[in-house]
Amino acid sequence: MQRTVGATIAALLAVTIGGALAEPRGTNVVAQARGGAAAQAPAFQVDPLWPKPLPNHWILGSVTGVAVDSRDHIWIVHRGADSLTARTENGLGTDPPTAEECCRPAPAVLEFDSAGNLVSSWGGPGQGYDWPMTPGGIAVDAKGNVWITAAGWPEPPAARGGGAGRGRAAGAAGAGAAGAGAAPTPAPAPPARPFDAHILKFSPTGQFLQQFGKPGTSEGSAGKATFNRPAGLAFDASANEIYVADGYTNRRIVVLDASTGAYKRHWGAYGTAPDDATLPPYDPAAPPAKQFRTVGCVELSQDGQVYVCDRQNNRIQVFRKDGTFVKEVIVSKGTLGNGSVWDIALSPDAAQRYLFVADGQNHTVAILVRETLAANGTLGSGGRWPGAFYAVGSVAFDSKGNLYTGETFEGKRVQKFAPRR
Amino acid sequence: MTSLGRRRQSLDMQTRIIGITFVAVLLALGLSARALDQAAAQGGTVQAPRFEVDPMWPKPLPNGWLMGMTIGVGVDARDHVWIVHRVDTLSANEVGAAQNPPTGTCCKPAPPVLEFDTDGTLLHSWGGPGQGYEWPESNHGIFIDHKGIVWLGGNVGADAQILKFTQEGKFVAQFGRSGQGKGSNDTVNFGRPAKIFVDPRQNEAYIADGYLNKRVVVIDADTGVFKRYWGAYGNKPDDTNPGPYDPNAPPIQQFRTPVHCSDLSVDNLVYVCDRPNNRLQVFTREGKFVKEAFFFKKTLGDGAVWDVAFSKDPQQKYLYLADGKNERVNVLLRDTLELLTSFGDGGRQPGQFFAVHSIATDSKGNIFTTETYEGRRLQKFVYKGIAQVPRNQGVVWPGK
Repeated sequence: MQRTVGATIAALLAVTIGGALAEPRGTNVVAQARGGAAAQAPAFQVDPLWPKPLPNHWILGSVTGVAVDSRDHIWIVHRGADSLTARTENGLGTDPPTAEECCRPAPAVLEFDSAGNLVSSWGGPGQGYDWPMTPGGIAVDAKGNVWITAAGWPEPPAARGGGAGRGRAAGAAGAGAAGAGAAPTPAPAPPARPFDAHILKFSPTGQFLQQFGKPGTSEGSAGKATFNRPAGLAFDASANEIYVADGYTNRRIVVLDASTGAYKRHWGAYGTAPDDATLPPYDPAAPPAKQFRTVGCVELSQDGQVYVCDRQNNRIQVFRKDGTFVKEVIVSKGTLGNGSVWDIALSPDAAQRYLFVADGQNHTVAILVRETLAANGTLGSGGRWPGAFYAVGSVAFDSKGNLYTGETFEGKRVQKFAPRR
Repeated sequence: MTSLGRRRQSLDMQTRIIGITFVAVLLALGLSARALDQAAAQGGTVQAPRFEVDPMWPKPLPNGWLMGMTIGVGVDARDHVWIVHRVDTLSANEVGAAQNPPTGTCCKPAPPVLEFDTDGTLLHSWGGPGQGYEWPESNHGIFIDHKGIVWLGGNVGADAQILKFTQEGKFVAQFGRSGQGKGSNDTVNFGRPAKIFVDPRQNEAYIADGYLNKRVVVIDADTGVFKRYWGAYGNKPDDTNPGPYDPNAPPIQQFRTPVHCSDLSVDNLVYVCDRPNNRLQVFTREGKFVKEAFFFKKTLGDGAVWDVAFSKDPQQKYLYLADGKNERVNVLLRDTLELLTSFGDGGRQPGQFFAVHSIATDSKGNIFTTETYEGRRLQKFVYKGIAQVPRNQGVVWPGK
């Protein structure tokens, strides 16, 4: 997600990889030379002991957003109890409790310092705003205010895993009741709730500041006052604008006045007018779709380019700030299911030379050269051990070049990867 | 034995008071947080085996392989670590490369039985349906006996059999037949057997039987012939449904499924995990009831007593108890069953647990754990000797 302070990390880019590195966990960057060029890419090493254990027997649900603020504090938002299996995982958070010692969901928003200490925790329903049914992305603006998109869609628990949001898997990974040899406890039907269609802004301490949009209210992808399941957002401080990836249902980028939330402009794939007509399922053999399929993220570069995750089309599209289409790249074209382009982080060197792409379907972070959009290696593979991923859906850099990742579905982690020097 | 619980609470309180005193004194002296931690540990006044998680063990699996619910761990005579996991619990999201058509480049299920060397390198992998035997609907529990034979149980549906394989995965024997189980007084078949422990001196196998039956069975390890069996308190087992567990009710006279472990100590005592009853029952080899202890008695659902392993000193002074509901490993004094200390907590990071299901020790005293549900890991906890440790250690990270 968005960082607000640029920093030069020349050292990060000075690392050259040749041949196989003897890495723990085998999850570090493997450079892939293209066109005979020297293999050169940033290399990383997971910090298995970051962050520090949470207090109060708190555990994370599916993590849907990660951001870094100007102090290099790391912010995450996760789904909490909504994504925890009551019977097996939430022993202290149910009524009555089923366990004596562990566990309960942590508050939805957590702030860590760079050493991994928990600094603050807040979030959840409150007066004057609509807490998301399912949070999407998180971003911290230049003033330190925390923005969260609301990306949820009502669905019965039995269908959990059927949605398209960052927290929702396309195949079912449920309670796994067979593990204890007991039948799963049927979950109660969820309360009828309108779909998420809004953006929330809080102070760093969690005080509600603003809400743009209302749950259950959408005019579709041409709407000027509404959203539909926005997935993420980015700031253009110089223009006092925010760019919204809108979203899991709408198919557009929409730009707002950052102070008032007033509509300024929007566009769809290739910079055309978005169309909400049903798309056939993604087919890697078919020509690229003329519309966005899932607008999962938006990021701005310091040279004024807008990078958009078109998740289930497996592509990144690049625009100018006025919505003029510049170019696109397909990432792991054969990917089905949830798609390959979930989130993007720009490397924090002055030139922002690389794009780091969270690919939660292939369980890796793909690295592209920003200028050419050429593939330049991957970081990580599937698994539950440190440095491995299950559904890595969020990526963010701090000013020192540390990469932070968030895993949704049953990954339920935030991890730190430090640059190797 | 609620007195154990009360005593634990009382000791916790003493620990806190002593700890607060230490903190106050040390703060006055201006000492570091690390020194405070150490002082608090000493204030805990409990001497016990100490462990630290090895966050980088084992090494990554090859071939993009993933483990599903990992529901058994054993250590062989070479200190190789064996696990068994449930291949079919991996979701389509995780094993995209195994879908038809593939949905991604990652990943595939690993074979159900995996053998790791002491460095954590995967050596061998095998398992699954084959000729001449009935692979369980849901493999569960793994044990490597004194002859090097690998034993497996199964805990779902028609599973009523035990399987024996060589370490290369060659079928050796099957005891009991799938679908033929006739309850807790059957003398040929099992009822979703959970775990096996082989007594090398008598060449007998102790079967925690199981997820359907409510008993411990002892068989001849070579022939599979039933030698004896018993229920809770040494009673004849009774399959009558006991209803849900009630922490306020008197202890019931039968095991409550699953009967999840039945491990034999060097002094010939059988430790039985009566999982949802939150109790450990101890018997002689012949099934005579010796004693019992309760742990985290208010735990509902899956229960608190999942699996045990013995410490590696000659006397097996300590007993390690995996609790996949409260997410911790409890260290007991085996003689008294007193809970000395616990380590671990909930979570997905090293040293944390989601449903720590199985536990085993190697010859060096290291502990290995596996996690079921969505935990799906094998973890190593390095033995660091006997030390003063807090009663509740939390996550045991290196250098902490």
